[in-house]
This record gives sequence, structure tokens and C-alpha cells, in this order.
Amino acid sequence: SQPLAGGQAAELQSKVVPSKQIIHSDNMEMEPETMETKSVTDYFSKLHMGSLVYSCTSKRKNK
Amino acid sequence: RCRMEASCLELALEGERLCKAGDCRAGVSFFEAAVQVGTEDLRTLSAIYSQLGNAYFYLHEYAKALEYHHHDLTLARTIGDLLGEAKASGNLGNTLKVLGNFEEAIVCCQRHLDISRELNDKVGEARALYNLGNVYHSKGKNVANAGTHDPGELPDDVKNALQKAAKYYEENLSIVTELGDRAAQGRAFGNLGNTHYLLGNFRSAVLAHEQRLLIAKEFGDRSAERRAYSNLGNAYIFLGEFETAAEYYKRTLQLARQLMDRAVEAQACYSLGNTYTLLQDYEKAIDYHLKHLVIAQELHDKIGEGRACWSLGNAYTALGNHDQAIHFAGRHLEISREVGDRSGELTARLNLSDLQMVLGLSYSTNNSMMAESQAVENSLNGGRPRGRRYSMENMELMKLTPEKVPNWN
Repeated sequence: SQPLAGGQAAELQSKVVPSKQIIHSDNMEMEPETMETKSVTDYFSKLHMGSLVYSCTSKRKNK
Repeated sequence: RCRMEASCLELALEGERLCKAGDCRAGVSFFEAAVQVGTEDLRTLSAIYSQLGNAYFYLHEYAKALEYHHHDLTLARTIGDLLGEAKASGNLGNTLKVLGNFEEAIVCCQRHLDISRELNDKVGEARALYNLGNVYHSKGKNVANAGTHDPGELPDDVKNALQKAAKYYEENLSIVTELGDRAAQGRAFGNLGNTHYLLGNFRSAVLAHEQRLLIAKEFGDRSAERRAYSNLGNAYIFLGEFETAAEYYKRTLQLARQLMDRAVEAQACYSLGNTYTLLQDYEKAIDYHLKHLVIAQELHDKIGEGRACWSLGNAYTALGNHDQAIHFAGRHLEISREVGDRSGELTARLNLSDLQMVLGLSYSTNNSMMAESQAVENSLNGGRPRGRRYSMENMELMKLTPEKVPNWN
């Protein structure tokens, strides 16, 4: 008897939707994403500190 | 040259410190300054790009995040840093997912997974599986939202994507359980529960969210606890156990108030209002919808305000309080016009005309033929006013609108 807005709504009206589905929840709460992390100190310690430690120890050994 | 190197590194270190302290905006300025100064050390540059990408991701500036993670990936490949390439691929995948480019996101996350397996990096493998699950979940949800499907009656492509998501979350769970990483288990259970929910497996959803709740309590993570309560409430609604749903939504509300998150508090009130509508306790429904209305006004959320008015109109109609029902249906009409919600506007007009007819009839004299036929109809319908049935049917329009309201999701 009463028209509903738009074709989709009319389609919805025609099938029997249980009343509990009125709040078909779109407010689902997702868990956060995990991002991969890099740090300049990771590479710095490996490259620069590594060679620094090496040069120091080799100097010591030389002494 | 040495001075320049130190300067780039110093700027990047300050950027890292600021981002770790939670000030991504300031961190970005330092990282961008570091890029301006430049360095010949490509690994340092890769780390800067990666952190810039993540900072922009957390700031929700996804186009910028995409740009920097892409730079990082190119660089990692150039210098033959396989672990760096895996990480960049994972971050690029997550960013592409948020941007809705699911196919490319899958390729990137798969690359993250393949390299992690090649390097026998179990932690990386688990994280890649979680990311892949997230991409398929988003893909499924995105396609589902384009239509108007109810859980349990999904088109094949949506179902396939969601089933893949569940498979990846389960694979992730078996690794992180082996690794004893409880925090990662918590995340996987939460998203697995939501995937089961969309697939219409509400009992499985409850089981997963109960595990999520347990882990959240172990960690004293009240935000995660609140999420679990809310998701449990949603699942119990679909199981038809409205009292249990109301209990979980009440716990959500309690925690939202403790955490002083007004938007989440409003959402919990709205869910409670709907739950009490399902329980046909319209007085309680009105109480919660009014609480929702107050917060929506406070947050200048017009769309939320419109939803509140519409819900209140329905609840007052159900109680036979037609004056209040007309007041809120009128507000719903005004707000729908204001925000350009055409379907809301039409719904409000229909509700108003129904209500005006009921009111007009009750004020007219008894010898009117129309009033008599209306009285007969009312008695046949158990004395319920005519407007209500239509209004409740119109409630189903609800699920067509929420995705337009990102701040409520």
C-alpha cells in the first residue's frame, strides 16, 4: 500500500526480513592493523657501529 | 659530507623519537627534513621512507603513505634487502587495502608472506597472514556493502572472500599460538569473529569474540574489551538473544564512559535503543535514543541526530504518544532535508502523513464514516495505530545508510 524509497528498498520490503535484522550492524569493531617497522638505528648500528666496533677492536688488537 | 650525514641521521632520529611519543605530525616534519638533507646510505633512507609511510598511515593520509611505502619498496629491491622488501610489501599492502585497491593489496601481502617463508621468518609469516586476512575481509565487506545483503545470504564472491579471510586468520592463529604471542591471538580472534559474523556463523562469532574478551582482560586492554562486548552484542542480536545482547551493550556503554569516548558512548546508546525496541520495551528504547540524540547534537553529527529522531518517532508511535511522535518525525524530515538524505526525507514524509491521519481521526467526531472504518481496522489490528507498522517496515532502510556515516562505524 505504501511505496518505499528506491528500488532496493522496495525489494527489501517484498521479502520477509525478520525484525531482528533491523540493526544489521555496520558498526562492527575491527582490530587494528599491524604495520612493519624499520628504524634508522637498526641499520646504523649494523653498518656504522658495526664497523666502528670492528675498527676499535682491531686497533686494540694491534696495540 | 660527514656533517650532512650526521644531520640527516639526527633529523631522522628526532622523527623516530617524536613518532614513538605519539606525535606523528611533528615526526613527519623531521623525517621530511631528513629526506631534504639526503643521505648516501640507502638503508637509512629506506628506514626513513618506511617510517614516513607509517606516520602518514596513522594520520590517515593514505595517498602520502602509499607514495613513501612505494619508495621504500623500490629502494629495498635496489639494494637487495629481502627482509626490507617483505616489510615494505606488507605496509604497501595494508595501505592499498585502506584505499580499496584489494587486488594489488593481495599481491603485496602475498609477497610479504612468500619472502617471510623463504627467510623462515615465523613472526613475519604470521603478520603477513593477518594482513592477508584483513584484505580479504575488507574486500568481502566492501562488495557486500555495495548490495543490500543480510548475513547468511551472500553472493558467491563475497562469501569466497570472507571464507579466505577466515582461512588466513586461522593459519595466523595456529602460528601465533605456537609462538605464544597472546596479543596477536587477540587481534586474530577479534577479526575472525567479525568474519564469522558477516558469514552468518553467529555461534562461531560468539566463540571467537569470547576468546578476544579473555585476552583483552589478560592485558587489561579496555579498548579491546569494549570492542569485544560490542561485537558480542551484535552477534547475540542475530541469535535472537536480545536480553544477552542488551547486557553486552550495557558493558560497552560502561567502558565507553570510562574511556570518555563520546562517539562510542552514542553508538552504544543507539544499539541499546534498538535492542529495547526489539524487546518491545519502548520506554527504555526512548531513554537510550534520547541519550544518543543528546550526544549526536553535542558532536554536531547531523546524520546521527536524524537517526535518533527517526528512532524516537517510531518508539513514541509504538507507545501511542502521537504528539511526541509527530515532533520527532518532523525533526527527522528537517534534518533529512538539511543533509540531503532523500530516502530519509521520504520515510519521514510517510511517517508524518500516517501520524497526521491517526491524529486527525482521533480528533474528528465519532459519526464520521472514516473514523468508524478506522476504528474497525484498529480493533482488527489489536488496537495498534496504523502508522506504526509502516514505520517499523521503514526501519529496514537503516541498513542502507550507515556506511555513509564513517564516524559512526
